[in-house]
Amino acid sequence: MADDDKQGQFSRRTLLIGGGAGVGLLIAWAVWPRTYAPNLTAARGEHIMGAWLKIGEDGHIVVAVPQAEHGQGVYTTLPQIIADELGADWRTVGVEAAPLNPLYANPIAAGELFGDLFDALPKGLRAQHAEHALLMLTAGSSSVRRFESALHVAGAAARVALCKAAARRWNVDWQACGTAGGFVVHGADRLRFGDLAAAAAAEDVPDPLPLRGGQSDRLYGQSLPRIDVPAKVDGSANFAGDIRLPGMVYAAIRQGPVGDSRLVRTNRDAADRIRGVSAVIENPRWVAAVANNWWAANRALDALAPRFETKGAIVDSASIDAALDAALDGKGERMAKAGDLSTAFRDAQIVTADYRVALGVHAGIETMTATAERTDKGLELWLPTLAPGLARAAAAATLGIAEDRVTVHPMLVGGGFGANLEHQVAEQAALLADRLKRPVQLVWSRIEDLRHDRYRPAAAARMAGRLGANGGLLGWLAKIAAPATGTALARRLLPRDPAITAARALPGMGDAYAVAGAEPFYRIPHYAVDHHPAEIGVPTGHLRGGAHGYTAFFNECFVDELAHVSGTEALSFRISMLGGDARLARCLSTAAALGGWQGGVAGSGQGIACHRFRGSYIAVLAEARLEGGRPRVDRLVAAVDCGRLINPDVVRQQIESGLIFGMATALGAATGFTDNLADARGFGDLGLPLLADTPDITVELIRSEADPGGVGELGVPAVAPAIANAIQAATGMRLRSLPLRPDDA
Amino acid sequence: MTRFTVNNQPVEYRMAPETPLLWALRDASNLTGAKYGCGTGDCGACTVDVDGTAVRACQVTIGEIEGAFVTTIEGLARERDHPLQLAFIDANVPQCGFCIPGIIMAASVLLKKNAAPSDAEIEAAITNICRCGVYPRLVAAIQRAGRVLSGDETINAGARPGIDPAEAARSVPALTPPN
Repeated sequence: MADDDKQGQFSRRTLLIGGGAGVGLLIAWAVWPRTYAPNLTAARGEHIMGAWLKIGEDGHIVVAVPQAEHGQGVYTTLPQIIADELGADWRTVGVEAAPLNPLYANPIAAGELFGDLFDALPKGLRAQHAEHALLMLTAGSSSVRRFESALHVAGAAARVALCKAAARRWNVDWQACGTAGGFVVHGADRLRFGDLAAAAAAEDVPDPLPLRGGQSDRLYGQSLPRIDVPAKVDGSANFAGDIRLPGMVYAAIRQGPVGDSRLVRTNRDAADRIRGVSAVIENPRWVAAVANNWWAANRALDALAPRFETKGAIVDSASIDAALDAALDGKGERMAKAGDLSTAFRDAQIVTADYRVALGVHAGIETMTATAERTDKGLELWLPTLAPGLARAAAAATLGIAEDRVTVHPMLVGGGFGANLEHQVAEQAALLADRLKRPVQLVWSRIEDLRHDRYRPAAAARMAGRLGANGGLLGWLAKIAAPATGTALARRLLPRDPAITAARALPGMGDAYAVAGAEPFYRIPHYAVDHHPAEIGVPTGHLRGGAHGYTAFFNECFVDELAHVSGTEALSFRISMLGGDARLARCLSTAAALGGWQGGVAGSGQGIACHRFRGSYIAVLAEARLEGGRPRVDRLVAAVDCGRLINPDVVRQQIESGLIFGMATALGAATGFTDNLADARGFGDLGLPLLADTPDITVELIRSEADPGGVGELGVPAVAPAIANAIQAATGMRLRSLPLRPDDA
Repeated sequence: MTRFTVNNQPVEYRMAPETPLLWALRDASNLTGAKYGCGTGDCGACTVDVDGTAVRACQVTIGEIEGAFVTTIEGLARERDHPLQLAFIDANVPQCGFCIPGIIMAASVLLKKNAAPSDAEIEAAITNICRCGVYPRLVAAIQRAGRVLSGDETINAGARPGIDPAEAARSVPALTPPN
């Protein structure tokens, strides 16, 4: 209890520190809530230092991270910022998932996901709204952008408190004390953080807070080892499916086809005959089987042979294509524009091209999983979630209990790539735990995961461009047909949010999420981007990179086509139109230089593309060819400017990751539909790259002192157009659909 | 019969003999290092060592490996110090980590037979799917582990799992030694 008191004092003062403690912190303080108390819990001997940090009397340091670790290294980079500011020894730093608290709300991610719905709120209200709605979100490559300043401040506050505690003991001026390697240092005197933790937690800290000075001995900018990695090489890292609770049973589920489907019949007798099966639970939209091991439960689903009845129009690949075509022919909403396009296009020679992208699948190796236990208090959930506050709200609503009776334990996420923003599996597991009155672990089978994905939207684009007399572009029109995924995400994830509901009722049919990345970054005097919302009958959601995954494909392929028409070499065509964007131009020239760019001439098999988003810049050079009628990528060279690097090797790892992910979506990772069911039934249908398909990869991180931009998605969007442009250079064949299928061209 | 040896422990599973090995390991033995990713043998996240062969544990039943010796990631090394584990840590190979136990088990079988595999031999042996894209770091890490196995190179291990506070404090000055 004594700890709690100290925690209160420390944190309230910490939170009340106003003003800027340096230019970089002004923004953080503008959005820093002043009324929410931290709610970390301390183990014996641990002292809570605000909302982000605990220091143990033995010297161990725990950083609370609100963001989900799904491979991007956030359990390392965020602690690294605070450890640097604190002056800690990295070997003493551990991490734990932060509890739910408005302090950790992420309005940047909310803006990336819900787009104009969120942006429709008055600017001053967005942050407060994100807090109020408990929008803790891992999405849109936003973690560092959102939390870097807050972590600097938290680290500085704890460092000052430790210095003051030490100074009191030595009877010296605290400002003459510094920290290094987990010690407070004053001349020859040294005291361990652990020895000072209890006293420091009761110290007052000044306003403004001094940030740590000096360039030597800094953790920021070093490729420190990832905190999560050791447990990931020996099988001890626990995912939601690795939770084992006393008396726990295992459940498998089968849901009806997409659309308005209802369960009409099952063969319960057949399921009962399977050894280990203990229950079958039916729901209007799904049936679950429960057993003493998951395989028996999943087998019972086959025995149940559930039949569903689906009302409404049949959804298949042809109907999705027809919906996109109809949308393109129908009304659109202008989402971005410059100049006067109609004048620029009048009586001019216009170059046009149509592009198309299939539904993309997430296909993380971990399928949807939740472990749930109904308790006296309410419900406990072990969940790989990117939105723990929203998952909690959904589970509570499902059971009709108060949200504070639901505890969400955020687990490591096995990939996911955005799929874990969704929370159907949490609702299902909550219902199962409620009905079974014992702990239950629900794991979707692979086929279930592919059939009930929230897919990256299918999309189509009708591009038109007019070349200028000087070889550049005079006019550009992108008409994009795609489902309104931002609206769909808001409807599913924030169903009870009054502000979002009100924004959804505002006039305007366009969806900012659906055309994100479509506004050209080239200097084009007259351009417009139109969104043509398409009702494709399939639920769509956020997949790494979001709409940039298709808009960058449309734009960067079309720019390439225009360069060819104008007879200009594709790299200089781009750079000549990037006068105002030195960072992107430098990425392009760097990738070209490193990759030995031959001008994209016929037969070279080289293609180039670039993109900027989430505050970062990338150019990708690809070398590709056709082998047995299939695209084969031999080499990818990426030049990246993502601002200051907190952990260069983690950034490099994420770019490599994004390149492979982008290559997967260029060559496969997609599905068609037949009779309301996804055609992809397993990994074998997705054409995912294996080690043997991995191209030679070069990643160049351009030195930059700009604020850090997003990194997790950065590698993805430019890869598909770079490969398509490379195939064109190799074969003369222009592939305008994703995945790239030469046979269809 | 469903009797065999798992990580040097004799086990008899009271489960249907047609149960895939993966689910006996995960749900009966609580050895959760081997992961379920597909159940069709495509992804390799459940790879374990069965009598010296890398096997997709979702593709063999407990009834058909009577008397076999099964090694899972939990049994690969007592102190997380198998050269592959050290090489993977040192090169920052894992990302989300879900596929890593399967990849390490497949690589461990390869290295047992061939401590100096070529790039092509590694590509042929490691057919696991990784969606995070750890592939660019894999070949070098596996080859380095092979050199460590041959005694040509060493990799400093980090902290052991379950290191005691006194030992930790001896190597990290910032930690207070227990009284």
